[in-house]
Amino acid sequence: MDGVCPKIDVRNLDLWYGETQALKKVNISVEPNTITALIGPSGCGKSTFLRVLDRMNDLIAGVRTEGKVLYDGKDIFTDIDVIELRKKVGMVFQKPNPFPMSIYDNIAYGPRVHGIKERKVLDEIVEKSLADAALLDEVKDRLGKPALGLSGGQQQRLCIARVLAVEPDVLLMDEPTSALDPISTAKIESLLDELKRRYTIVIVTHNMQQAGRVSDTTGFFLQGELVEYAPTKEIFFKPRDVRTENYISGRFG
Amino acid sequence: MTTRIQFTEELTRLNRDVLTMGARVEEDLRKALQALRAGDLALAKEVKADDELVNALQLKIEDQAAVLIATQAPVARDLRELVTVFKVTDNLERAGDYAVHLAKAVIKLAGEPPFRQIGHLEKMAEIGSQMIHGAIEAYLNHDVEAARRVAALDDGIDHEHKALIGEILTLMKERPEQADRASKLLRTSGYLERLGDHMTNVCEAVVFMEEGRHVELNE
Repeated sequence: MDGVCPKIDVRNLDLWYGETQALKKVNISVEPNTITALIGPSGCGKSTFLRVLDRMNDLIAGVRTEGKVLYDGKDIFTDIDVIELRKKVGMVFQKPNPFPMSIYDNIAYGPRVHGIKERKVLDEIVEKSLADAALLDEVKDRLGKPALGLSGGQQQRLCIARVLAVEPDVLLMDEPTSALDPISTAKIESLLDELKRRYTIVIVTHNMQQAGRVSDTTGFFLQGELVEYAPTKEIFFKPRDVRTENYISGRFG
Repeated sequence: MTTRIQFTEELTRLNRDVLTMGARVEEDLRKALQALRAGDLALAKEVKADDELVNALQLKIEDQAAVLIATQAPVARDLRELVTVFKVTDNLERAGDYAVHLAKAVIKLAGEPPFRQIGHLEKMAEIGSQMIHGAIEAYLNHDVEAARRVAALDDGIDHEHKALIGEILTLMKERPEQADRASKLLRTSGYLERLGDHMTNVCEAVVFMEEGRHVELNE
């Protein structure tokens, strides 16, 4: 959109694991309230790229980055506190990872860490987050029960609710439905469509059809390079690069 | 390791059927043309019977294409090719109908001295056959330049159609007792003119398949 600042603006990003360059001169601009899908073969750098956005790669020894990553116009390496960044840029992983606590405490954990102690406020946060993750109706009568007792799809929605509880701005999702059955997958995809009204979402997926179904923009990574980045309907209807065409068509060799 | 072997084989089978359908329609038009030249009623009736087979083939191809879309989730060029299959078979089926109309004209105009204006119909049918052949070849070979050349042939059909209209209108004024027969000739000419348009549509579909954009050839 003209005049709208990108939510995330990545310029000439290089990343090395030791001597191995994993990302090469990546340039991406993510618009607010959109869903961006990152696709590419295993080892292409898409998950590494995702982890740059909330500085999770800081936790890996030997990682070096060059280039600029701006969140709302601010450099995430120099202008924003990393704890604050990770509050605003939340991550949902491939395998649901609820804490070994009650459903309530899973959601309340993040707000408590950020200093919220009043029970009434926590109750509201828990209820709203579960509702926003389309899970409230299924668990409202058992908030005190262990989260690990939920089904896989419910656990993943719990993880989404947990991220929403700290009021993020951006949701990063690394293959969020690959461990789930088709019905749970469909529920989460519907949820994404609703969530993008309030959040900006970047999702790594191996599922071409999912990328086509849910995303506004798609980026194709290959061997650390962002080969093509365009509106999803262009990527899936008329990709410009033959490498993109071959990958999404499933043609190798 | 080459992947998507099954999908590639299914596409090949599908296009073989498209070739069969195109060849059949082209042959029907040539038969109708031959029937017109020779006043051969039996041959004309054969064309009518053949049309049933053409229609059945269209439905078979469309069902196959729909199944491929549902089961193989094609994207990009593969998807455009399958979408184009529907356009090609639809336009071929109409061309087949026009071949039947030409055959019917043979039957309706039989038994009386032929109009010399039938020469225009013969030329139109001849060009139409070339267009069917060329358009299907361009589709199967993914050849945009060939498609453009085939589309340009439609000018020849339009030229003959205009000439026939002019001559028939003059004939109707000079010999009003021939108006009924003459109008059958006009109608048949209209069908062949549309056949040219339908083959132009196939050529435009080839451009869409290869380039992903919609064009109007022969504007």
